[in-house]
Amino acid sequence: MKCYRCGAELDKSGVCPSCGTDVRLYKKTVCLSNVFYNEGLEKAGVRDMTGAVATLRQALKLDKNNIDARNLLGLIYFETGEVVAALSEWVISKNLRPEDNLADRYMDMVKNSPSQLDNINQTIKKFNIALNYCHQDGLDLAVIQLKKVLSLNPGFIKAHLLLALLYLNGGNWDRAKIEAQKALKLDSGNVMAKRYLKEADSMLLPGESGKLVSDIAASESDDVIRYNSGNEMIIQPVKKSAITRSGSIWGIVLGAVLGVAAACFLILPQRIQSINNANQAKITQISEESDAKSAQIKDYEQQIGNLKTQIDDLQTRVTDYEGVDSTSAAMNALMAAANVYLSDSSDIEGMTAAMENLDLNAISDSVSPQFTGLYDTLMELVGSDLAVSYYNAGYDAYKSEDYETAIANLSKAYQYDNTNVNTLYYLANSYKANGDIDNAKATYDAVITNFPDTQSAASAQTKLAEINNSGN
Amino acid sequence: MINFEEELKKFKPSLEIEDVEDIIYNQDLDDMSDVLLKMLKEAKGTETASDLKRTK
Repeated sequence: MKCYRCGAELDKSGVCPSCGTDVRLYKKTVCLSNVFYNEGLEKAGVRDMTGAVATLRQALKLDKNNIDARNLLGLIYFETGEVVAALSEWVISKNLRPEDNLADRYMDMVKNSPSQLDNINQTIKKFNIALNYCHQDGLDLAVIQLKKVLSLNPGFIKAHLLLALLYLNGGNWDRAKIEAQKALKLDSGNVMAKRYLKEADSMLLPGESGKLVSDIAASESDDVIRYNSGNEMIIQPVKKSAITRSGSIWGIVLGAVLGVAAACFLILPQRIQSINNANQAKITQISEESDAKSAQIKDYEQQIGNLKTQIDDLQTRVTDYEGVDSTSAAMNALMAAANVYLSDSSDIEGMTAAMENLDLNAISDSVSPQFTGLYDTLMELVGSDLAVSYYNAGYDAYKSEDYETAIANLSKAYQYDNTNVNTLYYLANSYKANGDIDNAKATYDAVITNFPDTQSAASAQTKLAEINNSGN
Repeated sequence: MINFEEELKKFKPSLEIEDVEDIIYNQDLDDMSDVLLKMLKEAKGTETASDLKRTK
């Protein structure tokens, strides 16, 4: 112990050996400070933090150099979440006794863990924000914020107390009680926590009717009775009649009906609208594709029209060329026949073969007069012989009922000699027998017209009447 | 019944780390020995004043 006046070490006497100051009173205050420190230490040992803080502050008022008391006070502050107060006590302690001081260890513990320090700072800031919310009537937000604070630092007594107060204010007695109990667990001497716990308990105690006071105050429709039996909270369901239970069933049914109605009136139209929109988009797309295809089809049709025109032109050209070919073939045939006649005028068969390829119907009108002249001359010379040859062949075919051959030969025979009534008559008969009624009628008409007073004409008349009578 | 508003007034914002310096400087560290010293000084001052009066 040192003299408060000169700082010299004191002995057991009541006077300072250095300056002679009476230190009896000073010694008593130092002893009293130590007594308070011991008391504070005991209280801290049983986690009566509030009591310990009060006692230790008393000890420091008596002797500011009581380093143990100051360090312990800092430690208690730290434990209760008041980190800044704790640090300030340790700093002062270190300042008063720079050497051999426990405060060093405590401060190192905080300083060496920057994340912990940051965490502490965040906790304090969040608590202050929560308190601010409380003053601005943002109680729900304050509760959320305080829960965050306590998740970061579960030992923050002030946060527990404020949360308990908010729960009490909200009529949440169970939770208020829990928070107050937590606060009391951290600080058994905390008067505020005890008061909140008492308030919560009073609201949770069963009333005269067996229901909780809080339940009566809060609502009339609770379906449980809660009461405390020792440290246990008993939650007992209230027995309800069938009618009451059916009420809840009706409630469920009503809820379901309302749900379906909401779906029909709110969700369904939106769904239908979205489907319609999707369909509209599809229709638009299909319409666009259809337009494109229609344009393509028009294009193709135009191309087809052009191609048809080209085909017609080409067809015309081909026909022209065919006509030229026919004329050319007829000329060749006529010259071949003339050649046969000049070589051997009696070779009728050779002439017939040569004249086979000469089709007068196929010859165009633009044949030269020389061709016509040569043809006429040749016909005058050998026409009757050719006609006889063809007639004989045709008649033989007619007899043997080969009407196709007969028609071909008799037609040729009539071409080379149109004065023979038999040729025409048998040709008409061949047509009739072959089933070619139109040609048959025309040929019979020709027989009647060209050879009126012949027997063949009379027979033709009869045959024609038969044909007409038969309904053709 | 607890009055919420009154209870809320009892809660003060927690001190933040940045405020440590101010708290330390502004803390009243006077103890009983300081009070004694002040009392002694005052007592001495009074004695000196009365001595001077007598001398005059």
